[in-house]
Amino acid sequence: MLVELLILFALVAAGIVFLVPDEYAGQSAAVLSLVPVGVSLWMYSIFDGTGNALLEGSQPAFETITSWVTLGPYAISWHVGLDGVSMPLVVLTTLLTTLAIVSAWTPIDERESQFYGLVLFMQAALIGVFAALDFLLWFVFWEAVLVPMYFLIGVWGGPRRKYAAIKFFVYTNVASLVLFVGFFTLVFGLGDSISTLGLPAIAQALNAGQLGSIGGVSPSTVKLAAFAALFFGFAVKVPVVPFHTWLPDAHVEAPTPVSVLLAGVLLKMGTYALLRFNFTMLADVARANAELIAIFAVVSVIYGALLALAQKDLKRIVAYSSISSMGYVILGLIAFTPHGVGGATFQMVSHGLISGLMFMAVGVMYNETHTRMIGDMSGMADRMPVTAGVFVAAAFGYMGLPLMSGFAAEVLVFMGAFRSTTISAAPLFTGIAMFGIVIVAGYLLRAMQKTLFGPFRLETDYDIGRAPFQDVAPLFVLLALVIALGVAPDLFYTMIQDAVFEVTALGLGGGA
Amino acid sequence: MVSAFEFVPAIAVLPLVSFVVALAFGKWMPKKGALAGIFATVGSLLISIWTALTVAGFLGSETAYRETIWRFATGTGTFDLHLGVFVDPLSALMLLIVSLISVLVFIFSLGYMNDEDETGLPRYYASLSLFSFSMLAFVFADNILMAFMFFELVGLCSFLLIGFWFREDAPPSAAKKAFLVTRFGDFFFLIGVVGIFATFGTGLFATEAGFPHMAEQAVAGEMPEPVGGFLGAVGMGAQQWFTVLGLLVLGGVVGKSAQFPLHTWLPDAMEGPTPVSALIHAATMVAAGVYLIARMYGFYLLTPTTLAIIALIGGFTALFAATMGVVKQELKQVLAYSTISQYGYMMLALGSGGYVAAVFHLTTHAVFKALLFLGAGSVIIAMHHNENMWDMGGLKEKMPVTYWTFLSGSLALAGIVPFAGFWSKDEVLYEALIHGLGSPVLLVAWAMGLLAVFLTGFYTFRMVFLTFHGEPRSDTAEDPESVRWNVKLPLGVLGVLAATIGFINMVPIKKLTGLKIDLLHKWLVGSEALNAEFLTGLEHYEPILKNVAGIESSFIAGGEIPTLLLSAALSLGLALAGVGLAYRLYAVEEPVEHTEKLGGLRTLLMHNYYQDEYQVWLAEDVTLPLARLADTFDQGIVDGVVNGVSSVSLFSGDRVRHVQTGIVSNYAALLTVGLALLLVAFGILGGWF
Repeated sequence: MLVELLILFALVAAGIVFLVPDEYAGQSAAVLSLVPVGVSLWMYSIFDGTGNALLEGSQPAFETITSWVTLGPYAISWHVGLDGVSMPLVVLTTLLTTLAIVSAWTPIDERESQFYGLVLFMQAALIGVFAALDFLLWFVFWEAVLVPMYFLIGVWGGPRRKYAAIKFFVYTNVASLVLFVGFFTLVFGLGDSISTLGLPAIAQALNAGQLGSIGGVSPSTVKLAAFAALFFGFAVKVPVVPFHTWLPDAHVEAPTPVSVLLAGVLLKMGTYALLRFNFTMLADVARANAELIAIFAVVSVIYGALLALAQKDLKRIVAYSSISSMGYVILGLIAFTPHGVGGATFQMVSHGLISGLMFMAVGVMYNETHTRMIGDMSGMADRMPVTAGVFVAAAFGYMGLPLMSGFAAEVLVFMGAFRSTTISAAPLFTGIAMFGIVIVAGYLLRAMQKTLFGPFRLETDYDIGRAPFQDVAPLFVLLALVIALGVAPDLFYTMIQDAVFEVTALGLGGGA
Repeated sequence: MVSAFEFVPAIAVLPLVSFVVALAFGKWMPKKGALAGIFATVGSLLISIWTALTVAGFLGSETAYRETIWRFATGTGTFDLHLGVFVDPLSALMLLIVSLISVLVFIFSLGYMNDEDETGLPRYYASLSLFSFSMLAFVFADNILMAFMFFELVGLCSFLLIGFWFREDAPPSAAKKAFLVTRFGDFFFLIGVVGIFATFGTGLFATEAGFPHMAEQAVAGEMPEPVGGFLGAVGMGAQQWFTVLGLLVLGGVVGKSAQFPLHTWLPDAMEGPTPVSALIHAATMVAAGVYLIARMYGFYLLTPTTLAIIALIGGFTALFAATMGVVKQELKQVLAYSTISQYGYMMLALGSGGYVAAVFHLTTHAVFKALLFLGAGSVIIAMHHNENMWDMGGLKEKMPVTYWTFLSGSLALAGIVPFAGFWSKDEVLYEALIHGLGSPVLLVAWAMGLLAVFLTGFYTFRMVFLTFHGEPRSDTAEDPESVRWNVKLPLGVLGVLAATIGFINMVPIKKLTGLKIDLLHKWLVGSEALNAEFLTGLEHYEPILKNVAGIESSFIAGGEIPTLLLSAALSLGLALAGVGLAYRLYAVEEPVEHTEKLGGLRTLLMHNYYQDEYQVWLAEDVTLPLARLADTFDQGIVDGVVNGVSSVSLFSGDRVRHVQTGIVSNYAALLTVGLALLLVAFGILGGWF
């Protein structure tokens, strides 16, 4: 019942905050959002799930199945539960929501109750996405995330917010349509072998090779087509190059707290779904096309990093670097080795924290200077030493400094990918992808040198002072988490490994 | 009895504590965090001494130690990812060097930073503590992943300290360059680390479970289980693949130890405060690279190709950097190039099978280079931060302590008997010679190293004469600021050491007289347990050197003793010739820039062979335009296609304009309706209703 409680509480909190007057909205939202943080941490501490929730012999924690409606031959259930992959992501969601809310206190100064209400509503939907184990339920949550995000960008965003919001909404919605069609092709192909739309049932049926032909098209073709549709659907969300162009626009226009959630949690919906659908349900197709997918991954890493290098807007730099970091996730997933898939999942959490930290640091500087253009400022460390210090720490975290979570995640991915037998020439792919660690150092050091160091200069009319405590406090919380996970990856990695280990054995010889 | 080994982690943890203390509370502390650092590093030094005594066997029978202290990843299918401690003669010696230099640098900083009323002192001492912490943990790392981690942290600390004066333009730029250039090397290193884990499943340096031993077995034909499987997948022979791995790790070494072609960051790094330069050059960052090769020497011995490359890089760098040192005008620049050059000697020794010689030179160099930098720091205080040697002169009478200690360091650097550098450099060249006689590649490397001896003698004493001798050439040199005990004390300690530390391994005397005074050699041979159980002793390396690396000694002029004497005479003669030339040219009343006679060559040398230019060109004129091109491509083509597709297939052009002007409800509604229709269609098709 705890998952339901979490979702329900977030929804109720959203409703309350909607009604609270603007001046109290921020504080009440923060206080209310502490409850899901507490509950999710408590759930984490008593977590007893084993195995991968989609595969046989597993026992997800906090699982509930209640029959809901019946659509023709299929039973649609309220089916939720958490395994080692989803539990860390739920904790990430609740933590980042609270921190994003606190970081919104300074920049958000109109229609506050609606803003915070939408954030809490989105939190409920995000938890649902990670917890749902029934396809329709999952899809409802998946779509429900888009709506608040659309408004958060479109109402509170920057000058081109309408364009960015529409682009985000249309792009991701088209992707949703495609993945929906792709998934139902599989459902029809499975025919009588399934009687529910539960994800575990479908995953197990597919892995048992029960996919039939549809209209004379052979099962392997059906699978390939469905795989492509699903891959496109999720690749947009991740985003994988070349489906990424909505991301920088959305990030640049979105207010900082929204960027934190967008980069920190929303992108992980894509990689999470890729792991659940493409790499678990259709592991054999993934393996058969491993080199192609690895190319997508490597291109995302290098091309994304090069794009980041070309940017002059701090926020755009961070936005593009997310594309690069998500490329590592894809590389780890396609490796089909314990450290590859486990490291990729760990990277989802780690990147959520580090990119959140980076966006917040940029946001704090923006709050004071009202510019994000590298050329407009110099020597900020002189006026904002604490913020600059955290910025430096965050940037080094992003570069994969050891004893911070990014290093642990990347090294695990690299080790997993290097050894992969699924990708041919795996060491070569891995080696090329690893060049990303040089480029990331290039653009972040360059950005720091130009903005933080050198003689002080600021080309806006604002008189800057030190950032208020409420702006800086979330940075320290995130920094502490990043270091904690870097020193002790096992805080999450043990449960992740337990949940992904069986995935790495999928699609070997079995299936259609 | 309590063993020192149990306290080894504290050697690194103490500076970590002082990092936190200085950062958090330094502002309110009497010396702004310096005292925390001094206490911590003195603690580290004491434990290091205790550890060294234990390793020497004075305090019990256990003389080497390995212990896992923290595991990163447990659970199914995992590699052995952990932090661990490994103490053997090599790491014990290095711990001693690093903690000693750290203490002295902290004390010196009181004079260089506090007495000069610098701001940001808590940040300075915190970074310095973190630097000591990272390096000490790197030194006792028992596996290559941990070594890599602290190698990177050392890089971070250098960034923080080189860029310490961040309000100016040059230091942040130099800091960026240092991190980026070494990161480029670390990219290869990390591939090597990942490759080693993928091949062996472990990164342990020592014992039979370690990767050097597994590699040794593989080369000998007794393929250990995981290695054989991976080699099959890669499709390479064992030795060939180990050469690839060895070269990849070497990338990181070349970056951090500032070897050609990744040496360019080091002269720029002089932008940092001078005590930091002493720490970076003598005992921490730059030493880390060479130390790493020595640490995994058992692995490198298995690939003769890599060894030859190491020797060539070393010999070439020794000569190449020395030529640039000849024309520099700033005190610290000369020292910077001499550092690059001296680390070249260590690489030369390692590559030509002179393990002891390399460690010996690492030790002596740590002492005399720290001394020279601190001496330069003292001069810089006296000169009110003017570093140009042409503005100095005649400082000899005004600062005798600095002069005599600096002279001791210079004699050591130039390799004049009996100062420390003579013994170690002589041994490096001797090893390269006797091993090179059977191998032309090593002989070439040796020849370059030998030639550099002359240049070293010359530029070192050009520096000494210009700085301290003759008449003062500026008002500040006329009336230099005086320095206090906190500057003189470290100089005194190091000055004595620079004169005497060479006595720990007087191989020529031993060979001539038969006295067993090659203490360092004995130290590195280690105990029986070390060679049998941990496999990092010299007795374990020697057969591999002979059998696998194929490096053997041969002698000229009829035997070992004549070769030894010839080699020593040659290097001492060249060094003296260099000093003599410097004396002729610069030890005069009014010295002039003789290097101008070099003409075009001087321009080339002043521009460092245009090495910086081409690297800046690679970064700014190749990579950056490529990135901008990618950006244009992305906005124009990739995004253009997306926008094009949406306007063609979904709506007519003017609808899109509606959308973009904000009329969105119909658009969103259309998508929702589409989704609902789709659901219904599926429902009917699937016979749900």
